[in-house]
Amino acid sequence: MSASLAARPHPVLVGVGGYLPPRVVTNDELAGHLDTSDEWIRGRTGIAVRRFAGPGTSTADLACEAGMLALKSSGEPDVDAVVLATATPDHPLPATAPEVAARLGLSGIAAYDVGAVCAGFLYGLASACGQIAAGWSRRVLLIGAETFTSIIDPQDRTTAVIFADGAGAVVLRAGEPDEPGAIGRVVLGSDGDHKNLIMVPGGGSRYRADGITPGPRDGYFQMAGRDVYRHAVDRMSSASLAALGHAGWSVADVDRFVPHQANAKISAAVAARLGLPDGRVLSNIAETGNTSAASIPLLLAQAAADGSLQPGHKVLLTAFGGGLTWGASTLVWPGVTALSER
Amino acid sequence: MFQQITDILVGKFHVDPAAVTPDVTLTDLELDSLDIVELGLTMQQELGTTLTDDDLVNAGSLGAIVELAGQRVTAS
Repeated sequence: MSASLAARPHPVLVGVGGYLPPRVVTNDELAGHLDTSDEWIRGRTGIAVRRFAGPGTSTADLACEAGMLALKSSGEPDVDAVVLATATPDHPLPATAPEVAARLGLSGIAAYDVGAVCAGFLYGLASACGQIAAGWSRRVLLIGAETFTSIIDPQDRTTAVIFADGAGAVVLRAGEPDEPGAIGRVVLGSDGDHKNLIMVPGGGSRYRADGITPGPRDGYFQMAGRDVYRHAVDRMSSASLAALGHAGWSVADVDRFVPHQANAKISAAVAARLGLPDGRVLSNIAETGNTSAASIPLLLAQAAADGSLQPGHKVLLTAFGGGLTWGASTLVWPGVTALSER
Repeated sequence: MFQQITDILVGKFHVDPAAVTPDVTLTDLELDSLDIVELGLTMQQELGTTLTDDDLVNAGSLGAIVELAGQRVTAS
């Protein structure tokens, strides 16, 4: 191996933070205006309560809170780049990351958004890791933040009960591949032939190109749940096995499985297909709902803070989202002080 | 085939064995839409059938599902 290759920096997780907006929304509250019930929602999704960003709170606001916590967790206030994974930016343009960077006192550094819907955190992770591995950044703040309720049709009971708001963030720094926190291969994939399964149809260039006048619901998020389920279980399972292969781990080596919190049934089906016992599967969907790109860092922060995720644990991450997009990665959980506010 | 599907319903979906009769529908057994997708995938893996979730819903009763599954076992 050449000296330059041997010296290539490896991305290592050194900070994690999670932030949930204060407003708790119960199933009963949703059942007040939707044809649904607490029993129906719990049985089909595993969700008991979720958080909604109140008036006056945007994605950037949530991202700043989580970003601040992750920087504090890392022990240093500075980074060379901010990557924000979100499907619900503050504006169609500009990207939200530059504002977040500026508000965190980091004006002047690279800052950009990454869009892969619910797989956004893992796509952002690949980008952040690339910055470090290329030697272009020494430290990167990666945030997943969503005000998903801003694109949800409040009358669509199939999505309005599932999606919610929140933000999570991690700090990565240049380090060594064999130290705790070193990020394993980020396995990514996509299948645009199925873009229609998860989409906000209007608001972009396609409708204008096709001469379509947007209907009243075309600005809202739409999802074909049963088809998504089938693809999600397949892709999260296969990406997980690929990531494990790159790490040289077997399924039995995995101490903690951290799937994107899409739906309790999807997580259970993926875990069952992989052959992972229940005790190794982390979950917070009962209290958070599906927070899209925020779900993995939020769950990491909460689990590390409450002790269900411990230093030395071998962790498998996986996610699936609109695009279709999916991904998986691995790391050995490092000795970080996680900061989780809820 | 009826017994094999019953075993899946009881083992994986925690359905009461006493409730499983040829006349019953999947909705009667309180399977929701994602459960039905998972049932189709499980039957495919374990029994070699090729029924989609739409097939399972459209078939109606469990007896009709059993009949359809018998016709649609992949030759392997």
